[in-house]
Amino acid sequence: MASSGNSALDSAAVAELRAIVGDDAIVSRPTELKVYECDGWTIEKSAPELLLRPRSAAEISAVLKVLHRREIPFVPRGAGTGLSGGCLPVGAPVMICTSRMNRILAIDYASRRVEVESGVVNLHVTNAVRERGFFYAPDPSSQMACTIGGNIAENSGGPHTLKYGVTTNHVLGLEIVLPDGEIAELGGPAEERLGYDLAGAIVGAEGTAGIVTRAILKLTREPEERRTLLAIFAGVGAATRTVSAIISAGVIPGAIEMMDRLIIEAVEDAFHAGLPRDAGAVLIIELDGIAAALDAQAAEVAELARAAGAREVRLARDESERAALWKARKRAFGAVGRLAPNYATQDGVVPRTRLPEILREIAAIAERYSLKIGNVFHAGDGNIHPIVLYDERDADETRRAIEAGREILRACVAMGGSLTGEHGIGVEKMAEMPLIFSPDDLIVMSELRRVFDPEQRANPNKVIPAPGSCVEVAAPRRQVVL
Amino acid sequence: MATAPKSTSAANAAPRRQPARDIVDYELLFDCVHCGLCLESCPTYVVTRAEMDSPRGRIYLMKALADGAVALDADALRHLDLCLECRGCETACPSGVRYGKLIERAREYVNRNVRRPPLERLRNWLIASIFPYPERLKILLAPLRAIDRLGMRPLMRRLAPAGMRDWLDLIPPRAAAQPVIQAAAPAADSAPAAVVHHGCVARTLLEAENRNTEGALAAAGYRVVRMERTVCCGALDLHHGNFERAREFARANVRELGRHGGAAILSAASGCSAVLAAYGDLLAGDPEFAAAARAVSAQVADLSTLLLRRNFNFPRGFPAAVTYHDSCHLAHGLGVREEPRRLLRSIPGVELLEMNESDLCCGSAGSYNLTEPAMARELVRRKADNIAATGADYVVLGNPGCELQIAAELRRRGEKIRVMHLADFLALALSGADI
Ligand SMILES: Cc1cc2nc3c(=O)[nH]c(=O)nc-3n(C[C@H](O)[C@H](O)[C@H](O)COP(=O)(O)OP(=O)(O)OC[C@H]3O[C@@H](n4cnc5c(N)ncnc54)[C@H](O)[C@@H]3O)c2cc1C
Ligand code: SF4
Ligand code: SF4
Repeated sequence: MASSGNSALDSAAVAELRAIVGDDAIVSRPTELKVYECDGWTIEKSAPELLLRPRSAAEISAVLKVLHRREIPFVPRGAGTGLSGGCLPVGAPVMICTSRMNRILAIDYASRRVEVESGVVNLHVTNAVRERGFFYAPDPSSQMACTIGGNIAENSGGPHTLKYGVTTNHVLGLEIVLPDGEIAELGGPAEERLGYDLAGAIVGAEGTAGIVTRAILKLTREPEERRTLLAIFAGVGAATRTVSAIISAGVIPGAIEMMDRLIIEAVEDAFHAGLPRDAGAVLIIELDGIAAALDAQAAEVAELARAAGAREVRLARDESERAALWKARKRAFGAVGRLAPNYATQDGVVPRTRLPEILREIAAIAERYSLKIGNVFHAGDGNIHPIVLYDERDADETRRAIEAGREILRACVAMGGSLTGEHGIGVEKMAEMPLIFSPDDLIVMSELRRVFDPEQRANPNKVIPAPGSCVEVAAPRRQVVL
Repeated sequence: MATAPKSTSAANAAPRRQPARDIVDYELLFDCVHCGLCLESCPTYVVTRAEMDSPRGRIYLMKALADGAVALDADALRHLDLCLECRGCETACPSGVRYGKLIERAREYVNRNVRRPPLERLRNWLIASIFPYPERLKILLAPLRAIDRLGMRPLMRRLAPAGMRDWLDLIPPRAAAQPVIQAAAPAADSAPAAVVHHGCVARTLLEAENRNTEGALAAAGYRVVRMERTVCCGALDLHHGNFERAREFARANVRELGRHGGAAILSAASGCSAVLAAYGDLLAGDPEFAAAARAVSAQVADLSTLLLRRNFNFPRGFPAAVTYHDSCHLAHGLGVREEPRRLLRSIPGVELLEMNESDLCCGSAGSYNLTEPAMARELVRRKADNIAATGADYVVLGNPGCELQIAAELRRRGEKIRVMHLADFLALALSGADI
């Protein structure tokens, strides 16, 4: 459990930190630290030795100065909904959680932007501006809990990424406390940036560049209207062929989401959303834009789906039917919890046209490892999320779940895809990095990282495998519960 | 809000780090997939913003306790104690975690295994021996009523120790006369029947709620039948893990309610309704009562649903700006959210203004405001802020506990907003009087 390494988190250090953040912001007793030992990726567990819950960038800056002077590594944490073990302490004794930094600082409708502290919950941004007809576009399914800081670190996306882009397309500027305690402002309120896009380099850095404390985000105007369709298929093959057909016809829906039979059943058990239990797969297709164009587009999409083999296409008749479909989709991951004690959500990407192929491959892998694997994903961008079910009390099944996950990712890469669409590398996929990056690529990346974090004390042992150990990364003192 | 353990609380807790498998129904723990989607729906997390005060954190603690990975020390106890049992997490959880069942069992385990400091024991004993017994509560309140008649409450409040003031504030000053619904004619024998369980606190402090609940049902054409003998529903005991007495109360009520087979069963206190709806579970292991208890639970309904079912309508309008507070056990326990709103909107002239966080607990939570006053105060402040921001003249809700708690805070602030049980508000709207 202890991950102190050669750090000097002695009582003098703790006293210094306590003086900065105050008693109620320091957690040091094992019972309380225990609950911070994992995020949404529960296969690996490791509790920090000390947790700090600061309230401001100034406090974080003072804290990082102390840690810098004492050469103590740290790990940032937002809401802990990450799915790749991003905020798992690996050789980082101090965890710094931003959950208290949750103020929305300024809303500027005229320039369509909002300034928030990094601990603000994603959905709360949209809630704050909805009345005026705006929303914050990146909408991960965890949006009711995850923080903007976590979104920035993971470059999170969501169903509406297909049309509106991922987090990086919506971050105009940010404030970050660098590992030596210096506060830096990157980017700014303007859309056009001069010089290198440094804010862009921080988005997706998974907390390895320092702690983001504030962000200026773009607001998006609510589309005039939406049409939400449910297309029902006998199998995943026809469903995924439909996706390609729609995109190649030049239609860009706001979102195209797919769920396979396993997921449909879980969702129906949980929410009775009215999905057909006997279907092999469904697509939720949402078109948005100018009202006048939508009906024709919806008819075209329905036609394309039927041509690809849909047995039925339904149109949500009103907002409550639409909401029911999205509720089913957004809470699908959780609903899967009803099927098995544990699950691991994978996150890979393949070119859209190869979706049918990867799904066949996943089915074969499930068969080979005697596991159940469900699929619910952002089909529009080829971002798959196979959900591998297992029971952590069964060591062999857990091992098979991990292996199967790895094999799926390798298959994605072999098809010209990528290791992660939105959940990040974290600890989970570090070992697979060399599958897509050459040693040179990895060296360039770690050099970029060193610009912000020369001593690699911000979220150490994550993302980039240590040089020289490109295949298996030996993560120090990491407790793998198997 | 500090999350550090109170020095008094659980100072005597005997930490033991052996697996405590029976702390919860172990299998139920595995419904939780650690996704965190419940965090922001938890009032204590919203206030402290610490994982150990979140549903996910508490479940993780229970699991760690069950596995023997942590001891039942002052910290564990503190975070379990701080839970309101509001079940907001159950509404949020996509994975179907039955949190209420988990925490009830955990509390029972704590009762059996932890010796509390003397003052806490005294407090808990007083709560357990007074609240479920309306006669005792009346006796206790008699002196306060005398003081109120002499107009000396403010003086007494000033003299009371700070810790007592919040408690004192909860007792409403003597209520002004309230309109009462009179049904035109008694319903025919063939009309559907309804029976109202007169809860303990409501019966003592807010009697009009019971009468108006019955009045509204009668006006809607229900045949209102009376219980001959009403005992506490057992909510307090159930939530504190005193299963034994909870079952005793449940059996008495099942026996009594069973005599009105087929009647819709409800209480003006939605907290009590939710417990009645849980009798099936509570007495599942009792061969003599299991079937009858299940039948009682299946008959539990709520006022607004029953009225809507009979197309209850309002002969005259009542212009008022109203906001609606979701009482926890109505919204999260019984899943009733839309019906009261629909009923309110159907009153001509009523403008329903939604408040933020309408389903975030107000901190009343049974006797929670007596046992965890600091957190309760924090939550009711938040609730009052959200209410005030709507600009409404009335807050309507469905549980006497919430009514006392919210009214106390609004009085402290000098706010003119009136807090009313749905049944009382209906009476007011029907009388057309604007008091
Ligand atoms: C049910 C469920 C559904 C999900 N759906 C999606 C989805 O549709 N799309 C998607 O993209 N993701 C999804 N996720 C994954 C996860 O919610 C996202 O990665 C999210 O952005 C994490 O935010 P968080 O606040 O929980 O961050 P955490 O989990 O706390 O941390 C994630 C990473 O960010 C770092 N970090 C956190 N805050 C900061 C900061 N202020 N500065 C620097 N680094 C920081 C941490 O060190 C860690 O590396 C889902 C997760 C769950 C459980
Ligand atoms: S209780 Fe439900 S919502 Fe909360 S973490 Fe567990 S599974 Fe997720
Ligand atoms: S019952 Fe209420 S207070 Fe307790 S964990 Fe659930 S949401 Fe939080």
